[in-house]
Amino acid sequence: MSTKHSIAAAKFAANKEQATWHNETLWMVRAKRDRLSKEIPEWEQLRDLACNIKLYSNSHLEQLLQEFEKNATANGAIVHWAKDAKEHNEIVLGILRDHEVKHFVKSKSMLAEECDLNPFLIEKGIEVVETDLGERILQLMDIPPSHIVLPAIHIKRQQVGELFEEKLGTEKGNSDPTYLTRAARKHLRDKFLNAEAAMTGANFAVASTGDIVVCTNEGNADMGTSCPKIHIAIMGMEKIVPDQEALGVFTRLLARSATGQPVTSYTSHYRKPREGGEFHIIIVDNGRSQILGKPEHIKTLNCIRCGACMNTCPVYRRSGGYSYTYFIPGPIGINLGMLYSAEKYFDNLSACSLCLSCSHVCPAKVDLGEQIYRWRQEMDKIGKASKEKKMMSGGMKFLMERPKLFNSALWMSPVVNILPRFLKYNGLNEWGKGRELPEFAKESFNEMWKKNKVK
Amino acid sequence: MTSKEWILDSIRQHTQTKYDKPELSVDAITYNDKQAKFCDILQQVGGEFYVLKENEDLNKVILELNPDAKRIGSTLSYITCNTYNPDELENSTELSGTDLGIVEGVFGVAENGAVWMDQNVKHKALYFISEKLIIVLDKNKIVNNMHEAYRQMEIGKYGFGVFISGPSKTADIEQALVIGAHGPKGLMVILK
Repeated sequence: MSTKHSIAAAKFAANKEQATWHNETLWMVRAKRDRLSKEIPEWEQLRDLACNIKLYSNSHLEQLLQEFEKNATANGAIVHWAKDAKEHNEIVLGILRDHEVKHFVKSKSMLAEECDLNPFLIEKGIEVVETDLGERILQLMDIPPSHIVLPAIHIKRQQVGELFEEKLGTEKGNSDPTYLTRAARKHLRDKFLNAEAAMTGANFAVASTGDIVVCTNEGNADMGTSCPKIHIAIMGMEKIVPDQEALGVFTRLLARSATGQPVTSYTSHYRKPREGGEFHIIIVDNGRSQILGKPEHIKTLNCIRCGACMNTCPVYRRSGGYSYTYFIPGPIGINLGMLYSAEKYFDNLSACSLCLSCSHVCPAKVDLGEQIYRWRQEMDKIGKASKEKKMMSGGMKFLMERPKLFNSALWMSPVVNILPRFLKYNGLNEWGKGRELPEFAKESFNEMWKKNKVK
Repeated sequence: MTSKEWILDSIRQHTQTKYDKPELSVDAITYNDKQAKFCDILQQVGGEFYVLKENEDLNKVILELNPDAKRIGSTLSYITCNTYNPDELENSTELSGTDLGIVEGVFGVAENGAVWMDQNVKHKALYFISEKLIIVLDKNKIVNNMHEAYRQMEIGKYGFGVFISGPSKTADIEQALVIGAHGPKGLMVILK
């Protein structure tokens, strides 16, 4: 009955101190989100609007993407279209080769992760430098992010101290966050100044103006695009919003939901290439258009990648991002993984208690928990239902359909109270791991009712 | 078939219900004292503010507040305390090592302490590369919220604009807040 998630989660939970810190820290971020959202009386109206704007834009992609391309092109940008990850990576490589780029700086992009861009470029001999501090730490450690907004949330300051000591030559034993951040600032400043091209993701792409909007706190996207002449912005096609009016709804929701800030330090609007430079925009499908054909799951395309569903999820907080088998963890990752390949990523479906907290905090009202519930109903169809659970529910069905047998079983049940432990808590009883059975009552409610004992 | 055609075709094939565009009017929050709210939020996000008094000399105030700044960049005609004009430099990289950048904002946003900067300098690096940034802002130009902001923002000839809310920051090491990641370590808005 164990899934890959539950096995990995047990490992994460084994380090109690770290697991507790992870849980409490993310809950603190969730609490900040609550505080900030309550300062905006129209918060719920904004969430409804965000959901409806996305439903509109994602059902009018044909029109909006072309409008975006027309406006971006008129602004002087070069728009590319990529069917899948492979084509995306090749387009990026083509641009870099055309300009003989050897040094490439990147700000955070989950789409680049999705496409496995970095290993592809590095193999082709291009130096790729992640410039978001968390991402850079992970790149130097050669491990993936464990959260989409707080990528290095699973790493302790001592680990960063040791890493920087080795890679950047910082003082031995100094793990002060300010000291380490300053060291990274200096190290990356050189990278910014010497890069020939920069990449950013896109938080939003505005159809009516052709703008790419990027939100960061560190200013790394902006530093990156300030010096090199070449800027490549990559976007999943669901990043499109119709106009600036709609954009306003999302820039109010994003940072408040993500980190509990009123807005990110920088909300940058890229419209034209730099003087004498080039601005490339790559629109990526990679399976997104297929999702449009699944009405029950279409709202996953509403996601603005704020990470609020992870911060609130009792399972994510206690199991960490690496417990999930898809590169995006948490409630949204469970769903996106299933849409990408149910066969491959079904294990993550177990990482949910169906508390629906995710659905309640999502700024774009993605029905995350409800979709996980629906997927679970499909498990048997794809041949991935747990055998033990199937047997158990088969037995329950047999019993429930036979009232006499059910009542006898109930009458017998107090016997369990006196059974020796090895019969109750063994390999067959997954449920009994870390849980104690309650005492069975001597008399069932049914019997008490019949004897008129229930007042 | 080009990839564009392939994608548009796939979108056409898979799109089912077409949802209407919602009415975008929001009855958004407003403040009795926009300037006070703006300053309050700006401080919360790690920024500072200074309200210039009547007859006070802007350049003198800037120098008094930044006694250690050696290399000061500004393109503004009324700034005389600068040591160089970034517009006269060829490459953005030459701006590296700027202690203080002085720029002008278009308008402020009360709900989040942000200032809209429509790039009006040759090198946008000035906004990000300076160790500290001073934004001069007309105190009468503060809007309530982002809806109002987007109704009036424009992007001019350089084709770039940015809302800046406080200095650059990160909490990527154990969620400990550190002011000054890649951009300015300090940000002050001078309201005049």
